[in-house]
Amino acid sequence: MTGAYITSTGSFLPGPPVGNDDVEQLLGLVGGRRSRLRSRIQKANGIKTRHYAIDRSHRTTHSNEQMAVLAAQACMAKSPLPLRSVGVLSCATTQGDLVIPGFGSMVQAGLGIPEVELHTAHGVCSSSVMAVRAAVNTLRVGDQSNALVVVSELSSRLFKNTRYEAAGGRDAVDFDAEFLRFMLSDGAGAWLLECEPRGRCLRVDWIRSYSHADSLRVCMSIGGPADPKETRSCQDYATYAEAEAAGALLIRQDVKLLDHVVKLGVDGALRLIDEGLLDMARLDRLLCHYSSHHFRSKIFDMLKMCGASVPAEKWFTNLYTKGNTGSASIMIMLDDFLAEGRAKVGDTLLCMVPESARFNVAYMHLTVVEA
Amino acid sequence: MVESVALTRPEVLSPIGQAALRQLLLAWFDFERRLSRVPVIQRLERGTFGPADYQRLLLHLRQQVIEGSRWIARAASSFDRDHTDVRSAIIGHAHDEHRDYEVLERDYVAAGGDLVTLRAQPRNPGSEALHGYLMYRASEPNPVGLLGAMWIVEGLGEKMAKDWAERVERLIPVGRDGTQFLRYHASNDETHMNKLYALLDRLCTSEERADDIVRTAAVVGRLYALQLEEVDVE
Repeated sequence: MTGAYITSTGSFLPGPPVGNDDVEQLLGLVGGRRSRLRSRIQKANGIKTRHYAIDRSHRTTHSNEQMAVLAAQACMAKSPLPLRSVGVLSCATTQGDLVIPGFGSMVQAGLGIPEVELHTAHGVCSSSVMAVRAAVNTLRVGDQSNALVVVSELSSRLFKNTRYEAAGGRDAVDFDAEFLRFMLSDGAGAWLLECEPRGRCLRVDWIRSYSHADSLRVCMSIGGPADPKETRSCQDYATYAEAEAAGALLIRQDVKLLDHVVKLGVDGALRLIDEGLLDMARLDRLLCHYSSHHFRSKIFDMLKMCGASVPAEKWFTNLYTKGNTGSASIMIMLDDFLAEGRAKVGDTLLCMVPESARFNVAYMHLTVVEA
Repeated sequence: MVESVALTRPEVLSPIGQAALRQLLLAWFDFERRLSRVPVIQRLERGTFGPADYQRLLLHLRQQVIEGSRWIARAASSFDRDHTDVRSAIIGHAHDEHRDYEVLERDYVAAGGDLVTLRAQPRNPGSEALHGYLMYRASEPNPVGLLGAMWIVEGLGEKMAKDWAERVERLIPVGRDGTQFLRYHASNDETHMNKLYALLDRLCTSEERADDIVRTAAVVGRLYALQLEEVDVE
């Protein structure tokens, strides 16, 4: 069985960084009134700046596909491998520009890669790891020698004031519906994987994920109406206009369930330690996609007590300046981490993506190697 | 005579203690997911829990709450002279909790329940199994494994206080006066955790003991969930 190595990375963030006080101006005031929750939500998530692919007049400056293409091109520009030699294109996003076809098809067309083996992962934040997993598996079984993974997210279109107004305006927007408005933003990342190492690169040691959808209800969603007793999805209404009026096209986060994300993130790490795959003491860097700063909990004291904590100086995040770009976050985070140039040969990295939507937690273990 | 010293939270746990704590955390997370699949808890978490649900929940918890202090007291008496510090800690614990059921009874009445019905309620099959298991384990010499039982029961107390009480108050018109039993456990979390760490450090001294503690936690978690599943069976 051959290996899998991340030999190049790239990312793309649209437009200038947008500071906390400018977010609502750009997304628009719902019903002409300022949000009472904005500063509280921004304080909790700790994000200072982020990027949007829509402008103040709500024109889309870059489509999701365009961002994906730009990130992929940035990644391939750093590699001697010609774009047309890419064997596998593995893509992920939460919502493509089109509902059909799959996002990967659109990205392939945008990149102009001929006769590629295509894969599109469907999900939310952890779909990035699913896309990487598909790429890694294809290399490991020896079917292909390289794979380009591209993950992009354009959520800001959901956050226009007009979307909330169509669902009933300010009075209809509760905390769960507004939470993600001041949390998510846009961006794209890409990794090139090859079956042989090339220069200084990252070996993919293992990928694991644990989904808990069987025991917990939906925590983040689009498609369910505001009324929790309503069982119809947005697709069951006579028209999309009716679904929108019922709030079924808004993105929501059931914030009461968010604690589970932390617990399940820890749960997975403990399983990996138990299995002997993960050694926290030997880990050099932790790249964790966490959506918010409100991480302080008793669990961290317990982790310290059981010898499974990672000291603060080993954590790497770009959340505060690049924002939370959902599935694209971990892709952009690794690109930023490598750009710092501090990774040494032999360093081990754990990438961790806990997804709250219906609780899937994913882990990737990487080692810096030199060909 | 062995000198009795108060147990204190250690700075660091031994490698065996750390491994056991990791396993205990996993057992706890498994228990929590198991609870999320129990119908009455699902209703509580999904917001469809009504006054009748709350009465039934208390009705089915009462027996276990009464028996709870019994197994703790028996466990204390089963620790020999080399474990007097452990015995002191456990006796204190049993003393703290042995009249909790009176708080539960007041809540039940506040929620519109009838005390005669509550007192006449027999143990449900889950409570029978849980009580039987705990009393059996508590009767063994130096029942170190019961630390795993305390881990689950204490953890649940905290979950009730922090999560369930608030949900109950939001969903049914009882107010804080009617959730005193659920709320009770929140007051001294940190003391409880420090006591658990201290006991873990003191008792988890071999692989066998660690396995026993973790296994007991797993069994108690399953039996507790069974007790709550039975709330919907009658």
